[in-house]
Amino acid sequence: MNPDVLQGLTQASLPINLLATAIGALLGLTVGMTPGMTISSGIIIVLPLTFVLNPEFSIALLLGLYVSGMTGGSFSAVLLNIPGTPSASATAIDGYPLAQKGEAGRALGISITAGFTGGMFSFICLYLIAPLLAEVALQFHAADLFSLVFFGLTIICSFAAKSLIKGLLSAIIGLLIVTVGQDPVMGTARYTFGDANILSGIHFLTALIGLFAIPQLVGSLTDTGISTAGARQTFGSIIPKSADLKRMIRPVSIGSAIGAFLGILPGVGGPIAAFISYDYAKKASKNHEDFGHGSIEGVAAPESANNAVTGGALIPMMTLGIPGDPVTAILIGALLVHGLAPGPLLFIEHADFAYGVIFSFFWANIFNLIIAMSGLRLLVKVLAMPKTVLMPMIALFCVIGSYALRNSFFDVYVMLLFGLIGLAMKRLDIPVVPMLLGLVLGRQLEEHLRVALTSSKGDISVFFTSPFSLLFLSLAAISIVWAFAAEQRKRSKFST
Amino acid sequence: MRNKNIVAGLFLTVLGLAYGYLTTGLPERSLPNMPGPSFFPWILTFCLLVLSVSLLVQGLRMAPDDPIPKPGLVKPEGDSSPALMFLGAFAVYLALLPFLGFLLASVPFFAVLMALYEETRKLWIASLSLGVPVFLFLLFRDIFNIPLPRGSVSLLDSALRALTG
Repeated sequence: MNPDVLQGLTQASLPINLLATAIGALLGLTVGMTPGMTISSGIIIVLPLTFVLNPEFSIALLLGLYVSGMTGGSFSAVLLNIPGTPSASATAIDGYPLAQKGEAGRALGISITAGFTGGMFSFICLYLIAPLLAEVALQFHAADLFSLVFFGLTIICSFAAKSLIKGLLSAIIGLLIVTVGQDPVMGTARYTFGDANILSGIHFLTALIGLFAIPQLVGSLTDTGISTAGARQTFGSIIPKSADLKRMIRPVSIGSAIGAFLGILPGVGGPIAAFISYDYAKKASKNHEDFGHGSIEGVAAPESANNAVTGGALIPMMTLGIPGDPVTAILIGALLVHGLAPGPLLFIEHADFAYGVIFSFFWANIFNLIIAMSGLRLLVKVLAMPKTVLMPMIALFCVIGSYALRNSFFDVYVMLLFGLIGLAMKRLDIPVVPMLLGLVLGRQLEEHLRVALTSSKGDISVFFTSPFSLLFLSLAAISIVWAFAAEQRKRSKFST
Repeated sequence: MRNKNIVAGLFLTVLGLAYGYLTTGLPERSLPNMPGPSFFPWILTFCLLVLSVSLLVQGLRMAPDDPIPKPGLVKPEGDSSPALMFLGAFAVYLALLPFLGFLLASVPFFAVLMALYEETRKLWIASLSLGVPVFLFLLFRDIFNIPLPRGSVSLLDSALRALTG
């Protein structure tokens, strides 16, 4: 066996790192099932706690949270008909009717098992594909890297929600914020107004805490209240019966394959994978008339797709440094905080760590299954946890998290400022996720652009003569044109 | 939607102009054949202005917003006073934090937030607003080795030092 693989496996399997994965899984299930809390918010709140911990422990904790957050989302979808995460929306279609028939335990058991299978399938993809892709990516030059990051940024189009222009503007604001402080090539001070605090730039985590957590805290003030009666119902057995397991084979195979594949594509993400899998599973099923009325295949397909997306999204993140979804964008930031830049060099310079991440992902799926199956009855009590305690605690975590970054009050004030920006953006229907991508990818984008132009002596044809660069720019162009066309179609549909 | 687009378009156009103005103060080029520190910001200025003006134009060309929202079509915005109170409490808390320190500032802040989230049990508010900040302070200081601010009010600070060691 490759010594790096062995080292990675050993590292991920250390008791302390397994404990981190288990804690992450527990937190992920809790965050995922809490309506209104997103996995991104959960990770952002926990992230500052990991700064003082070693990178292996931190990434194990965060991966546990990521993987289990997906499963947790299905709990509230099945029990309350409120998807805990957007990815669990498709699960609610058949999960909730099953719960209404008194088969909540059966639905949750199927959901957990299908999620585990999807997650393990994507682990195999991650293990096999990531090192190969990293090898290809090692041949990239600055121009290719610029075009790749630019392509990564065009996933903004997928998150632009109602308006592509607003999505692009949000990303530009993110890029603009990144230019504050020392420039990445020459170290020239930009937009600092002579303030020493601003010289090191605005830490993107401070910005993220404000952008994601403050609007959530404010939004919870005006929540009308969610009925948690479903959380108090009796479940029955949650271990799937062999007949159910047999019926799950086809939808889980479809969901896992679709989820892992779509996860690799930047910006597609869990919700799309879940709905496509649901649709394909319905078409492939002999009992397609049961779909929408409590079909176990209708629960299994989207749940396996959700969890398969996680491993798929880690592939471009680890090998190319391009996030597959918002959560992996935050994970890139988490690694950067620890001085580890995701990308092809990660498999060369820190190969043991890279494989450690892959095996931590494996353990995250195992713990997700164990904790979800064994602690389900206890975990669903979280659904009834009062926000009067939860939200003030999150507020304190926001303050501690931003202060702990650099032991600076400046960061805490910046966090609140970004909270206000996040609220204004929400009010004006400007999506926040593109800004997150701008904040995470901005520095790389500028650096690769300037290095490429310097090496070509200012000749921009360098971006079109390299085959890799041309490929990425073409994909980026397709992505933008596709999004514009989709928006036009939507508008003409509304006007008719 | 129309009003939102106009407001966002106007604000971002002004932001783009201000950013462009500040960019004029940056050095153009540091070395021959090498894009300088202002190169990328100029690209951003251009993109920001083009997109924000497009949004503004898009907003102006839209039909006026319906003053009476159709039931079921528009989500009610809700009462904004709890949100303002929350932000006000947060701002006051952050202003006091460097002087009072984490413990002393967080206790009343936590209590105010619990009340804002409509907690009515006074004993519950009192015990949690005292217990949670103390627990977090000790957790971060002793387990994570992250010292949280202790404040600069000398009397309170020395009292705290005596209390927490």
